Amino acid sequence: MTALVSFRDATLGYGRHAVLRGFNLDIMDGDFLGIVGPNGSGKTTILKTFLGSLRPMGGTVTVAPGLRFGYVPQRDVVDTLFPLHVLEVVLMGRYDRIGLGRRPSATDRELARKALERVGISHLADRPLNALSGGQRQRTLIARALVGEPNVLVLDEPTNGMDLVATTQILGLVRDLHERTGLTVVMVSHALNEVANYVERIALVHEGGYVVGFVEEVMTQQALSAMYGIPVEVSSFEGHRIVLAKRQQTGEHRHA
Amino acid sequence: MLEAVLLFREALYGSLIIAVTCAVLGVYVVLRRIVFVGAALAQVSSAGIALAFWLAGHGIATALASHPEALSLAATLGSVMFFARPLRGPVPPDARIGVWYAVAAAAGILLIAKAAVGEAHDIFLEGNILGITNSDTLELLVVCTPVLVALFAFQKELLFTSFDRDTARTLGYHVDLWDLGFYLVLGVVISISMQFAGVLLVFNFLVLPAVTGLLLAGGMASTFVFSLGSALLAAMVGFALSIRFDLPTGPSMIAVSGALVILAWLVRRVQKRA
Repeated sequence: MTALVSFRDATLGYGRHAVLRGFNLDIMDGDFLGIVGPNGSGKTTILKTFLGSLRPMGGTVTVAPGLRFGYVPQRDVVDTLFPLHVLEVVLMGRYDRIGLGRRPSATDRELARKALERVGISHLADRPLNALSGGQRQRTLIARALVGEPNVLVLDEPTNGMDLVATTQILGLVRDLHERTGLTVVMVSHALNEVANYVERIALVHEGGYVVGFVEEVMTQQALSAMYGIPVEVSSFEGHRIVLAKRQQTGEHRHA
Repeated sequence: MLEAVLLFREALYGSLIIAVTCAVLGVYVVLRRIVFVGAALAQVSSAGIALAFWLAGHGIATALASHPEALSLAATLGSVMFFARPLRGPVPPDARIGVWYAVAAAAGILLIAKAAVGEAHDIFLEGNILGITNSDTLELLVVCTPVLVALFAFQKELLFTSFDRDTARTLGYHVDLWDLGFYLVLGVVISISMQFAGVLLVFNFLVLPAVTGLLLAGGMASTFVFSLGSALLAAMVGFALSIRFDLPTGPSMIAVSGALVILAWLVRRVQKRA
């Protein structure tokens, strides 16, 4: 496997504020990587840096030449005020291929419909985006990322604010896309329990530190307790890993 | 009445050009949630006109008395550079725009009050749509036609960079440059239209037709169609009413625009219930 993206001793952050220092990570061809951490830990900073929206403050970030990202933003970033239909949104994923000032062709529309088929919502092509459920909207955004024929699918908090059913379906869909086509997938999430059961490798970031490895290496009591600084228990139920933070007594409880 | 319409036909043509251009731009202004920027730019533009008269009245730059739009355009484009930049810091962006709006409005009033030729030119701040001449119509056409062509040609790019900036950026779009281009076009149109239509009417055509379009339409293309249609209707009906009942033309057009928004809102309610 070859590295598509490499961080080497990188300092990442916004303006003068460094969020991560000495960061090293390779995103390999065919990888299914979850970048996991609480809000403000730097996971979105990592994503924005390799997508080219942010420059590293130090070190190097190398992206393989000609690499094409299919980006799926957080669902609530997409403005539902725009009176757009599902197919129009999916077509946006081909806009850069269509070219400046040109209109989408019949082939582009056909490819957009096929992308909707891949994510299981081809019947919603002519529906307004703002009439869809959270899960359907997320599938629309995944279809838009796929229609551009990317080398790497990048998802930012794909299950944020979703119920259990929609979360399971979206994560299942992403895993299915990876398994069927070998598509490289990078998924950013704060929900360790959700991501850990779907991805193959995890980059766990927390308070300036990080650990990268295969799920079975990172998802251990020792590694997680050291990372989060609190006692953590890793259980398993029917092959699913469950991470539990052990209950801690507060001072108030002790005095009661 | 026909005689009056013929007498002021240039005013009607000019109003229609302003209405069409602002109605198309307005869809992006409303969808991008930068309505307040439109209002602030219109005020800055009027302050530029007032500054031109103040300078000319004090003998500093007398040529500006006959071409106040030059200073108006410079002030507006200068402000565009401020609005097009992403703003960070402790003051929210809308509050900064509010400061810009209030200061520009006050500066315009103060400068015109102290301009030696001020009173006679109050009309420039309020607009004088009936005073549009044939050469004014041509000037509006020369500015607005390329703007409309560009908005049509780059509709796809403007839509994408307005709708989902982050994704557009990952596909190689220079979102900040598209923003700057949009704001520059907006600034030029506001500045040129302002000297004929005044702050209120330009702001009206930037916002109300787009709102009507969004209330009635079910897609992007139909939003533009309804926005254009309602702007043209408001300009024509407002113009006719102002002549028939001897009313100020600009406010008549705004009143019709307002009535169309209410009508669109009622239609939407009925549609929802059905």
